[in-house]
Amino acid sequence: MDFKKLIGVIFSPLAFGLGFVAPLAAQILTVSGYSVGIDNIYMGLAIGGSLGLMAQLRGSWVWVKP
Amino acid sequence: MGETLSNTLSTIESQSKSAQTLGDLDTASMTDADWDKLTDGELDILERKIASKYMHIIPWGAVAWGLGNCLVWLSLWPLVLMDIVSIWLAAPIATLNVMLAYLPSHEAQHNIIARQGHPLRWLNELVGHVSVIPFGIPFRLLRHTHMEHHAHANHPELDPDYRVSNMGSNDWQFYKNTILGRQPASKDNDAYPQALVRTGKSHVMLDALACNVIYLSVLFTMAWTGHAIEAALLWWLPKQITITYVNYYLSWMPHQPAEHQGRYKDTLPFKSMLGNIGSMGMQYHAVHHLYPRIPLSLTPAAFRELRPILIRKGMDTRGL
Repeated sequence: MDFKKLIGVIFSPLAFGLGFVAPLAAQILTVSGYSVGIDNIYMGLAIGGSLGLMAQLRGSWVWVKP
Repeated sequence: MGETLSNTLSTIESQSKSAQTLGDLDTASMTDADWDKLTDGELDILERKIASKYMHIIPWGAVAWGLGNCLVWLSLWPLVLMDIVSIWLAAPIATLNVMLAYLPSHEAQHNIIARQGHPLRWLNELVGHVSVIPFGIPFRLLRHTHMEHHAHANHPELDPDYRVSNMGSNDWQFYKNTILGRQPASKDNDAYPQALVRTGKSHVMLDALACNVIYLSVLFTMAWTGHAIEAALLWWLPKQITITYVNYYLSWMPHQPAEHQGRYKDTLPFKSMLGNIGSMGMQYHAVHHLYPRIPLSLTPAAFRELRPILIRKGMDTRGL
């Protein structure tokens, strides 16, 4: 993988969704005492991954395209 | 040839006399009628004389503000991680720190603390680099793009801040556009890189790259080691709030509707709901665009003294 592609991956919305939003969502669920029977990190990965994927595909974290 | 030289010398002599006479004027006691008697050239001379009083002063307050503010923000991280300070107390402090991070660097961008060759030049550069650490945007990127903003304020293609200055005609349009402007596919993200490429400073993008790698590394590492909420409240959220604040008060309010270019037209005074301190001195940002080497803390006094001239030069002071 060349340098430009690596930078593109690191700065991608999907990477931010999985790298930051996922654990953040998991910790917010834990602190607020919310549980659906599976480990909160999996819920976090589902939330962060979905949001990151949406931002990646639509170019927007808020659905509305800029 | 001889006549031309003689005319030039006579013009210089009369201008010099005029400058000397104008310099002795007590502008504070001048009435509107007195101001109206002055010619455009005399207003120019007087404007420069007044402005020069406020320049060449080292803003020690901005030096202490920039370095101290960064130190407080950095100290919050170990204090929160060691459970010495609650994250709920640290979060508003961190937000304030990040909001306060830009302006000391802005003084350094304009070399107000010390120009090149000055013995304190190192301090100017130190404040420039260190004060923006909480904001997470590198000093050299801000400096080079800001110089372009000054050179081409309100120019749709050449002003890198134009898209922010032009974010709508009311607060709601601004808020909508500032949120959309930071989305991954927004063209606003291209403005600074394009300005750097255009001015032959594309190497400065490496600073931005390094800064972003550090920012994301800190967020990701903190998040996956059980401190995501702390990282979000100490850096990510304060940075988002600050981008909105800086866009609102430093770019949009002083420049909107961003339709006019040129001296006295591209940047206008305004009345802020939060007052001058709440807007971080931006009510008088117009003075900064006329005389970028006047320190931030002195722009209100400079504006008050320059006001009669600015009005006669055609500036809309928008109620100030």
